[in-house]
Amino acid sequence: MQVSKVLLAEDDFDDRMFFETFVTGRTDMLLLGAVGNGAELIETLHLRNTVHELPDIIILDQNMPRLNGLETLRLLKSKEEYTHIPVIIYSTYISDNLVESCLHSGASLVLSKPDGIDGYKAMLDKMITVVSIKDQSS
Amino acid sequence: MESLKKINGELLRKIEDLQDQLAEANDTIEAIRSGQVDAFVVTADHSNEVYTLRSADKTYRVFIEKMTEGAVTISTQGIVLYSNYQFATMVGANLSKVIGTSFSDYILHESVEIFNQRLKDFDGEDGKIELMLKGSNRNIPVLLSFGKLEWDDELSLSMIITDLTVQKNAQHELEKHNDQLEEINKALEDSNHDLQQFASVASHDLQEPLRKIQMFSNLLWEKLSHSLEPEDRSFLRKIERSAKRMKTLIVDVLNYSKLSSNSNQFTKINLNNLLKECVEDFEIIIAEKNATIDFGELPELEANAGQMRQLFQNLISNSLKFALPEKSPRIEINAHIVDRKSFNANPHQNGRYCHMIFRDNGIGFDQKYVDSIFGLFQRLHSKDCYEGTGIGLAITKKIVEKHCGLIRAVGVEGQGAIFSIILPLNQK
Repeated sequence: MQVSKVLLAEDDFDDRMFFETFVTGRTDMLLLGAVGNGAELIETLHLRNTVHELPDIIILDQNMPRLNGLETLRLLKSKEEYTHIPVIIYSTYISDNLVESCLHSGASLVLSKPDGIDGYKAMLDKMITVVSIKDQSS
Repeated sequence: MESLKKINGELLRKIEDLQDQLAEANDTIEAIRSGQVDAFVVTADHSNEVYTLRSADKTYRVFIEKMTEGAVTISTQGIVLYSNYQFATMVGANLSKVIGTSFSDYILHESVEIFNQRLKDFDGEDGKIELMLKGSNRNIPVLLSFGKLEWDDELSLSMIITDLTVQKNAQHELEKHNDQLEEINKALEDSNHDLQQFASVASHDLQEPLRKIQMFSNLLWEKLSHSLEPEDRSFLRKIERSAKRMKTLIVDVLNYSKLSSNSNQFTKINLNNLLKECVEDFEIIIAEKNATIDFGELPELEANAGQMRQLFQNLISNSLKFALPEKSPRIEINAHIVDRKSFNANPHQNGRYCHMIFRDNGIGFDQKYVDSIFGLFQRLHSKDCYEGTGIGLAITKKIVEKHCGLIRAVGVEGQGAIFSIILPLNQK
């Protein structure tokens, strides 16, 4: 089975813990790392790019300090070396406006954060599909 | 002989003088008769002597004396030749004292210059100026309308003086009210802004900790439910249920506040398709409760699709929720086109309104509570018996209002409820 490498930008400690907990239980996902905001994510990507170990999926929380999800997404899609990586934005509350802006800026998915274990599992199931869709298309 | 000649010459001159005086007197009588003259001014060495007359045209004078405006005639030098009683009262002077005085004596210092200038420039054209007069115990704002009056071939001015005190006060009141209205509008805008802020806070910041409560209690449940005492298990379940209820409340409040804010976008909507979709969304509950939903042909109309969907959802879920325990819920939805915006309107093929009726066989309600049914956070039943936030029907009403429509509810306890809605087919 193919294992998708995931890089997460999430400033909330609890949410990072939830994410790590549920990814750990999966065989199709590997959490490369979790950073606290978009700026840190860009730095991490630069480092990883030099050793040829970019993630298969980037997951961004919308509300983060320094660079929020949408801002980071735009930055990523403007850099040639990262445009191929699918980006998912998730947030506690997603307004219609946010969804529209994110999709327009090239997000593969916009999801709301779940409020239970089943919801979390379902969310990760949905997130992994962006890789398989990409593999089929390429 | 010489002296006789002299006397004769003097007499002839006197006769000439007298003839001149007679001609002048005749002219004067003619002037008085034709109403051109109100008074004589005889210029003496150091003063003006004025003689007023009682003219033949008495009705005109009575009218002038009785009217509520001041009426004054002045010479181009500004001397009062005639004044009616009203003007004298206005300036708190004796009528006989007014005549012969300078009109500018009655004008408040700051207005005198304006008046004098207009008097200097007077060329016979009618005009109007606003002045402040010195009243007997207060200053009086007046409108002075003046016009040309022939006075022995000399120009003089007839003036009508209107007391503007009442108008000025009314104007002032109006300005005050306008200011107050502006303030209220500002306050309203501020409170609307606050509501927006609150909605945004509610949507993000309140939901965040709530979701954590849900997540952690869910994790606790996974981990401990097998080892917990039954009572402790119920505590944990209560935390989960309360959090879920809080979440529903926040989402509902958010939806309600969204309705207050944004300007509506309307499109042509096929209500049949929309209703079919809504009914499909309720599939599980419909099966669970063995409910039936029947609906006739609904029209196409201009509306906000998202809001119409919410309206259907709220009314259907309301009927399913308040079903009688011993009866299978049955909801009937019908619509027809009517000729006017009224619940009593007649069906009319080419009408401009749609009358929709939602009828159920649920628990109904006592008609005396009809006013509270559409209120925010109003509940007719304890939340232990029927879940809900008490916002659903408030949202429904708001949606109808946003579409310039009408909604009303009629209930019979233990038999069912009927919700009637009138919506315009086209939004302006």
